[in-house]
Amino acid sequence: MVTFLQELVNSLSVASVIILMGIGVTLIFGLTGIINFAHGEFLMLGAIGVWVLMGYGLGYIPAVLIAVAVVGLIGFLLERGLFQFTLTRPNNGFMASLGLSIVLQHVVIRIWNSFSKSIPEPLPGVWQIGEITFIKMRVVVVLVTALVVAVTFLTISRSRYGLALRASLADRQTAALMGIPIRRYITVVFTYGSAIAGLGGALTIALFPVTPFVGSEMIMLGFAVALIAGLGNVPGVVGAGLILGLVTGFSGAYGTPEWTNAYTFGLMIVILIFRPQGLFGGTMGPAIE
Amino acid sequence: MADKRPPMGPRTNSAWPSPAALILTTVVVIGVFAFPWLNPGYRALSFAVTTGVTAIVLYGMAIPFGQAGIMSLGYAGLMGFGAYTAAILSRDFGLNMWEAMPFSALVAALCAGLFGLPSLRISGHHFAITTYVMCELLRIALINGGKFTGAASGLDLPPIGTVLGVKLDKLSNAYMLVAGFMFISMLAAYCVANSRYGRTLRSVRENEQLSRSIGVNTNMYKVGAFMLSGLFAGVGGDLQAYNFRHISPDLYGGATSLYFALMVMLGGPRTAFGPLAGAIIVTFLPEFMRIDPVDSRIAYGLALIAVVMLIPGGVIAAVGRGYQWVMRTLRGPHAGSADPHSAQV
Amino acid sequence: MATLEITGLRKTFGGVVALAGVDMTIRSEEILGVIGPNGSGKTTLFNTVCGVYRPTTGTIHWNGVDIAGMPAYAIGRLGLGRTFQQAMSFPALTVRENVQIAIEHGSRREDGAGPQWSSPEELLEFVDLEAFADEVASVMPFGNLRRLGVAVALGGHPAQLLLDEPAAGLNEGESVQLIHLLRRAHELGVGICIIDHHVGLMAELCSRLVVLHFGNKIADGPVDDVLSDPKVIEVYLGGEE
Repeated sequence: MVTFLQELVNSLSVASVIILMGIGVTLIFGLTGIINFAHGEFLMLGAIGVWVLMGYGLGYIPAVLIAVAVVGLIGFLLERGLFQFTLTRPNNGFMASLGLSIVLQHVVIRIWNSFSKSIPEPLPGVWQIGEITFIKMRVVVVLVTALVVAVTFLTISRSRYGLALRASLADRQTAALMGIPIRRYITVVFTYGSAIAGLGGALTIALFPVTPFVGSEMIMLGFAVALIAGLGNVPGVVGAGLILGLVTGFSGAYGTPEWTNAYTFGLMIVILIFRPQGLFGGTMGPAIE
Repeated sequence: MADKRPPMGPRTNSAWPSPAALILTTVVVIGVFAFPWLNPGYRALSFAVTTGVTAIVLYGMAIPFGQAGIMSLGYAGLMGFGAYTAAILSRDFGLNMWEAMPFSALVAALCAGLFGLPSLRISGHHFAITTYVMCELLRIALINGGKFTGAASGLDLPPIGTVLGVKLDKLSNAYMLVAGFMFISMLAAYCVANSRYGRTLRSVRENEQLSRSIGVNTNMYKVGAFMLSGLFAGVGGDLQAYNFRHISPDLYGGATSLYFALMVMLGGPRTAFGPLAGAIIVTFLPEFMRIDPVDSRIAYGLALIAVVMLIPGGVIAAVGRGYQWVMRTLRGPHAGSADPHSAQV
Repeated sequence: MATLEITGLRKTFGGVVALAGVDMTIRSEEILGVIGPNGSGKTTLFNTVCGVYRPTTGTIHWNGVDIAGMPAYAIGRLGLGRTFQQAMSFPALTVRENVQIAIEHGSRREDGAGPQWSSPEELLEFVDLEAFADEVASVMPFGNLRRLGVAVALGGHPAQLLLDEPAAGLNEGESVQLIHLLRRAHELGVGICIIDHHVGLMAELCSRLVVLHFGNKIADGPVDDVLSDPKVIEVYLGGEE
């Protein structure tokens, strides 16, 4: 039991990063219908960015802030320069994003190399509560994610902009007819989604070393979490992420850790087939009419 | 009543390829088979074999993707089914490459049908993601398959052996064999595309509801298209396993599937030479031209983006259109509009 | 002679009742018109009969075969064809290929009667589209697309066609052309049942009319009787010409 709780605590930090990815995926897809395969590369760029900046002598926190801003800017430029032209043909956007992810990964390998990179621990040490060891940095990751989720959720559910966004998620054409500047919202959502993916990367590299391929490793889990929750459903992503954390913890404690991802993927496939609108119901499902 | 005759030049109703296409095909066939005599060296020949085996899988992909319009990112997994079937049959039952081939093809076809079932419920890119994930699941299963699958280190295979006095372990001979299979695949895919079956698949792609209303069992055609593509992937896997003598799970993961999709999209899934061109451009060209692999990957990614955004039919279709434009210009004005039987179907 | 018997057909979507228990019979020797205000359930009727939707309750018998709940393609194979409200085609394929696929797969009928096309060109000539055989469907003008839709539905040997607003979007001249086409198809032995809003067109073409209102059938009989029925005038014709 203790092992299980310990594994759970450890896996919550990874689940948090996945939640950050999942929120980006679900918002972007829910609003634009584009599935951006390269979304994982935003995470990777955030991690690499922190590594590069700290290599120049910056402290962890300034490096994170700058890296996140840069990744957000990259997301903005990609939306303006590429994805906005694929809105009417989202399948083209998907295929283009396949190419984009290959480009981004290998540009990074070209400039730096493909070996794993790490940073000195920003917050070493642990807290001991009873028999469970809480690694400080992991707790920070969970708290930061919780903060971002809270801010995102409050903005979407309480503010005027959030209301307009939800309307657009539900019915893009009508929202546009009512004067909501859909294009601008798409750009904002895309930028925000990439920025928080970058934040996820910045947090990831504080936990363990990262290679230029970390994006493609994580993006599938990000998709899985968004699809399991139901596309467009932001709070659902948190629920699905927690399920992921549970599954990971369970698998680590009792089962075969090599199969961990398999369980999540298996769950995703089952849900897509039998309940395409997701466990918690999304605004847009992938089902064929 | 207004004149309903549209302004059109000479029309060809023939189902046979044009003389230009036949000449091109002959040139390509001769070029491919003559390649070993140019003394390209061991390394280039080896990459050529890989290219050929890959092209076989790509021609299979052209059926559900090019004709029926459904993209799957699971083809590396299907190839893996073929390869591992061959390896296990060799290890446990002593079957050689030829004896294993029907089994590899069948196993891959059945799995392709299974992988394809979700496409009946899920659309477009969601289905693509599902196939990517299933491919990864396969890879995980292979790694954890213990002694049966050889786990992470994989399995070895014996040499192909001699057939009719031809030593197929000699690389140049193996290359010819693979080239032969590749052209058979090309022909098969071409025949499917130009058959009633291919036409029906295109109707499913173009307007599924209309297709159903005229009596087409679209679900059966979709799954059938996948199974057909699985046959190709299985054959490709069998050939690959025996040519490289060693297979391991990392060859058959989602990332490899992604490259397959990239190749087929780049070359163009609906033209006769598209898949071959895609395989050559991505697999062979960089090695042949000694381009750094990292730079070449950046180039592909950019090329794919360019193709998707600007030339949706792929490189070969664009070349075909360019050729037609040149021909029209050479024939002079008033020569009529484009050849209605263009290179694509 | 082919008969489509619909009894107590009901279709609900969640809380919305689109068809509230419709009884009607469609015979292939007559040309039947279905009219009614928008939202009265006409398209839902066709969609349910043709297998796009499953009926909530009720029976549908096509030549004695119970087709309620059968998948759309199976119903198509039994000789019951249809066209759609939006002009449908296979956009990237040529007109000839569109029709060729329909001939190769089109609905069959056991008695072997009805249209038998020996080639795509013959069908294209029947609908006056043979000049466009090599044109890609997506570039065709709208009037031609409508005729193409009818051609595709006629491709097999359909015993009965259900046409959903086949003249929508056509001008006067094109509508007249379409009526002639449908009459010629009927002479070939294909039953015609048509939804439309051009009451004048319907009056000229049809021998019998059915009127739907909020999912209920409120009138069913010869054209003149129906058009002078006070109930019908009140809900549909009043104020309209």
